[in-house]
Amino acid sequence: MNLFITHALRFIIFLLAQVLVLNQIEIGLGIQLIIYPLFILLLPVELKTIPLMLIAFVFGLFIDAFSNTYGLHTSALLIFAYMRPLVFKLFAPRDGYDILLETNVFNMGYRWYFKTFGILLLLHHFWFFMFEMFKLNELVFVIQKTFISVPLSIFLCLFLQYLFIKKTDQP
Amino acid sequence: MRNFLAFIRRFRVLLVFALLQGVALSLYFTFVSFPRSQYLTTASYFSGAIFEFRNGITKHLKLSDNNTWLQNENIRLMEQLPVSFIKIESGKVSINDTVHRQQYDYMPATVINSTHDKRNNYFTLNVGKQQGVERGMGVFSSSGVVGVIHNTSNHFSVVKSCLTENINIDIIIEKTGQFGLLKWDGKDARRGTMYGVSNDTKVLKWSNVVTRGGGGIFPRGLNVGKVERTKVVEGKPLWDITILYSENYTAIQRVYIIKNLLKEEQYELENLIPVDQEK
Repeated sequence: MNLFITHALRFIIFLLAQVLVLNQIEIGLGIQLIIYPLFILLLPVELKTIPLMLIAFVFGLFIDAFSNTYGLHTSALLIFAYMRPLVFKLFAPRDGYDILLETNVFNMGYRWYFKTFGILLLLHHFWFFMFEMFKLNELVFVIQKTFISVPLSIFLCLFLQYLFIKKTDQP
Repeated sequence: MRNFLAFIRRFRVLLVFALLQGVALSLYFTFVSFPRSQYLTTASYFSGAIFEFRNGITKHLKLSDNNTWLQNENIRLMEQLPVSFIKIESGKVSINDTVHRQQYDYMPATVINSTHDKRNNYFTLNVGKQQGVERGMGVFSSSGVVGVIHNTSNHFSVVKSCLTENINIDIIIEKTGQFGLLKWDGKDARRGTMYGVSNDTKVLKWSNVVTRGGGGIFPRGLNVGKVERTKVVEGKPLWDITILYSENYTAIQRVYIIKNLLKEEQYELENLIPVDQEK
C-alpha cells in the first residue's frame, strides 16, 4: 500500500480509538490510557523535524477537538515530535536507520522500543499532566499519574502492534 | 542581516517548535478562562454528531439504572401532588395565586459525552442554541447540581461540570447558613471542597449542602451534597470543607437545564451598586 494512504488511515483510526474508546475508560488514580503518540512514532524516519511537528500539531488539534482540552494534547504531542529525532539519534543502531523499514517493535527490537518510546512517552505524559494541573504543589500527584499511566500506555501500544502490524521477515 | 538569517536558519526547528507550542498553549489557557468559539470542542457540529451517534449505542447499557432514577423521581414528584395530600380543613375557597410568579424554567437534556477522571471535566449535552440554551445557564439532575453551561453551538452545548477546578457555585450549609464557593481538587469524582467558610464558626458533619441561589443561576435549595470532613486551611482563618457529592458524576445521563427568567432584572439591579464603594 502507498505510504501516504497507510498513514492517513492510521490518522483516522488512532483518532477514533483514542477519543471514542480510550478517553472513556477511566479507571481511577488519574490513569489515562494514551495511544495516539504511537502514530507519530511510526511515521517514516527520514521525515524532518518541522514537517513532523506540523503533522503532530494538526493531529493534536483533532484529538483536542474531541476531548475538550483545546490545545493541551497538541502541546504535549509537539514535545513528543520535537524530541523524536533527538531520541532517535541517541539510540540509533550501529549502522544507522534503514529508511525503508518502519520503526515498529518488530523491526527495531524490544530494547530499542522500550527505551525510545518510554522516554518520549514519559516526556509527553509529564508535560500533559503538568499543564493540566498547572500547580507546583500538586507535583507529587502529577508524578504519580505519569508513572502509572506511562507503563500502561507502553504495553497497550505494544499489544496493538502485535495485533495490527504484519511481521516482516528480517534478514 | 546575513547574520540574522543565518541565526534563523540555525535555530529554525526550535523557532517553529516555540511558535506552535505558543499557539497550542495560548489556545488552551484562553479556553479554560473564556471560550471564544465552539470550534475544536465537542460542541462543534462534527464531533457533536459523532458523540451523539456513540451515545445512541451506549445509552442502553445503563437503562435499568436510569429507570430506577426516573421511578424515584416520579415518586418524589407524586408525593407533592395535591392528590397525595389529605384535606384537613374543608370549606376553603381556592384563589388564583398572583403573589407567586414563575422564576425558573426547566428543560430536559441528555449527556452524550462526559469524563470524570481528567483535571477539568466537561459534559456535552444534546441541546443547543436552537432550543434556547445560553452560556451561563445552570444544569442539575434529579439528585444534585451538575454544572453551568460553558459554551453552546446550534445543536449541542458543553457544560462546565462540578468536576472542574473553578466551578465556583454559590453554596450554603442548610442548617447553619454559612456560605461559600464550590471547588474541585481534581482527585476524587465523589468529593468536592467548599471554600470561604470562616473557621470561627462551627460546621456540623453530615449536614446538607445546597445551592445558595445568589448568582442568579440556580434556585435556592438544590442539593449539592453533605459535609464529610472539615480541616483548617493553613495560614488562613478558613475551613477546608470536604463535600460528598449527592450526584454520581461517573454515570450521569439525564439532566435538566435551568433558565432564570428574572436574571436580567437581578443583574441590572446589581450593576447599580457603585464600584468604588465595594471594597
